[in-house]
Amino acid sequence: MWRLAYRQLMAEPLRAALTACAIAAAIAVILVLRGFEQGLYAQLEAAVTARGAPLIVAQAGVSNFIATRSSLPQLARERVEAIAGVAQAQPITGLSVIYGPEGNRVPIYLLVHDRRGGPGRIVQGGPIRGARDTVIDEGLARRYGLRPGDPLVISDFRFRVAGITRGESAMFMPFVFIGYDGMIDLFLESEIAPDLSTFPLLSYLLVDLAPGAQAEAVAELIEHAVPEADVFTADTLAANDVALGKELFGPIMQALIGLAYLVGVLVIGLIVYADAIGRRRTFGVMNALGFRLRHMLATLSAQTLMLLALAWPLGIGIALAIAAGIESLAPVYRVYVLEPAGLAWALAGVLAMALLGAVFPLRVVARADPTTAFQAG
Amino acid sequence: MLRWILKTLWLQKPSLLASAAGVAGAFVLVVILHAVFVGESRQVVAYVRHTAADVWVMQRGVGNMHMANSFVWDSKVKRIAELPGVRAATPILYSGIVVRTPGRRWLAFAVGLQRGATRGGPWAMAAGRTTPGPGEIVVPRVFADMAGVALGGRVSVTGRILEVVGLSEGSFSMGNSVVFMAASDLAELMSAQGTVSYIIVDAQPGQDGAGLAARIEQAVDKVSALPAERFIRNDYQLAMQMGTEIIAFMTLIGAGLAAVIIAFTAYSQVARRRRELAIAKALGVRNRAIYAAVGLQTLVITGLGLALALLAAWGLFPLLSALVPQITLVVTAEAMWRAAAVALVVASISAWIPARYVARVDPLTAFKG
Repeated sequence: MWRLAYRQLMAEPLRAALTACAIAAAIAVILVLRGFEQGLYAQLEAAVTARGAPLIVAQAGVSNFIATRSSLPQLARERVEAIAGVAQAQPITGLSVIYGPEGNRVPIYLLVHDRRGGPGRIVQGGPIRGARDTVIDEGLARRYGLRPGDPLVISDFRFRVAGITRGESAMFMPFVFIGYDGMIDLFLESEIAPDLSTFPLLSYLLVDLAPGAQAEAVAELIEHAVPEADVFTADTLAANDVALGKELFGPIMQALIGLAYLVGVLVIGLIVYADAIGRRRTFGVMNALGFRLRHMLATLSAQTLMLLALAWPLGIGIALAIAAGIESLAPVYRVYVLEPAGLAWALAGVLAMALLGAVFPLRVVARADPTTAFQAG
Repeated sequence: MLRWILKTLWLQKPSLLASAAGVAGAFVLVVILHAVFVGESRQVVAYVRHTAADVWVMQRGVGNMHMANSFVWDSKVKRIAELPGVRAATPILYSGIVVRTPGRRWLAFAVGLQRGATRGGPWAMAAGRTTPGPGEIVVPRVFADMAGVALGGRVSVTGRILEVVGLSEGSFSMGNSVVFMAASDLAELMSAQGTVSYIIVDAQPGQDGAGLAARIEQAVDKVSALPAERFIRNDYQLAMQMGTEIIAFMTLIGAGLAAVIIAFTAYSQVARRRRELAIAKALGVRNRAIYAAVGLQTLVITGLGLALALLAAWGLFPLLSALVPQITLVVTAEAMWRAAAVALVVASISAWIPARYVARVDPLTAFKG
């Protein structure tokens, strides 16, 4: 059965290649869509975990990091640092603002930091040294052609690009890192409040633990000492953001992925059907030789599985190429094609598609006329 | 030749239908994604459009509302209200928040309304009051349905429990749901005393919005003032801008998938008719005529796929909106033209492989057994 299926495939290599390409394209679409969704969630997770603190203090009642507003009293840092088990508490402030000239504006996430929580790897230029220095994600740099030394005007305030970092974006927003001096200058320049000392300048505190301190115990002590605050481990806060992302993007992504699976079933069904039509004579011969329907279907399924075995790595390859293209042209997006759970789901889906696809030509195979075996080709 | 190719297609109806369905699926993916972004972008401007201000005033350098942070010293509200040509100046607070109910959390933008405000509130109501007092909130009716909250129910915003006193219509979407709270509550949550986010300016009759905006910027320090149409355009462009790249990528991926499906179908059908093609060639039919026939074949499959896609989209959209109320879908004529243009390109590319095959068919095979 397997040998027959193999020979059938090799009889027309161009057709086999086209077939594998068609299935691979359907697989690639599913993997890219799934990878895009996983990328969204991974970026949300990394936005928190990359800040590098085991505990994060937020405004009481706030349980997310991205896309929401947290505001801590400015003296909270002092009170947190006084607690046993806290090595240090570093401030961080998050603000979504809009960047770009009219007609080409995008939202960016301004992350104001001191000694912790800054950009991970700087791929071009250097770190923040002066009040007007910024480090920007390469997604923003690529979009606006920004390089180290270029000006970056936010809300009419002129910063300077000191460095460019990679992989610092979430929810379609590239991150822009600035220091607290820069933020205060921006706020003073913009005349936003009667008294900046009462204005919310602190969103979160990144807490490092003293050697031997237990995170849960320290969190409890902080919440007790600072009732205006809630404390989370970085993993919990990241999981909250991922859960919010799933609530927001899950439905549309699931609808698109479901549709991609449907297209996959149609493509594989079409291919198996076209193949059965093309080999009607072969099935006629098999019928004449006394093969049963299940044998013929088994041969067809074997061929489909062989095509899948060929198409699966090809589909992954195409998906990886598309992902690389997307990430290179628009680094604000991440497409996680090689995410194990996603791959397992896609493989299970493709196998299910193959089974469903095998139903398409059932009538053709069952009705293969034995007399066609004796007709001229 | 043209009749022959159409007959060939007709003889393989199930194969034609399956490939057209596959192509349709690829196009539907693109059309849905475009419809999502247009729908979302329209929802992004729903609040500012329905507020129908003449001029919007905000922090200097800020030019829109969606996802923006704007802070304006509240003393400037009075100064603007006193300017000639201004009928009323209504301040609002605006901030991204997470609304929580047991088992559900949703990202929304909160508008903080001053006590007794007659401007800036919800524009259509399903039930309840339009103006929330302290400790109260107006939420979109769709969210209330999803979360199982009714009038008088409770939701949590930044740890504060608020009573639902109104259910608004048209204010819900995936990325831009709008809830309404008392300004005092929102100011406390934002720790933003003495500050407002935006000022809704209504002009005296006969005043031109652009002129008034320019006068406000001249008279009041460090604010941006934009006529409503420009403010709305900025928000709409920002929302569409966020989707442009994703739509472009999806169009390329969908088009690529459609091209492979069409090429496969056309090739399979042409390969099956190899002997007939050889006879046609032996009888003197030129390659040009055969190419035209193959071109027509791919065009028919693509056209049928596109028609099926539009039909499917037409049937799917109400179903999707009912099943996934978070999504706002809007199909535009532009999306249809774009799909048709892509389909034409796809048909041309897909014809290449079967045409190449046809060109290589040897007329002598017509005489082989």
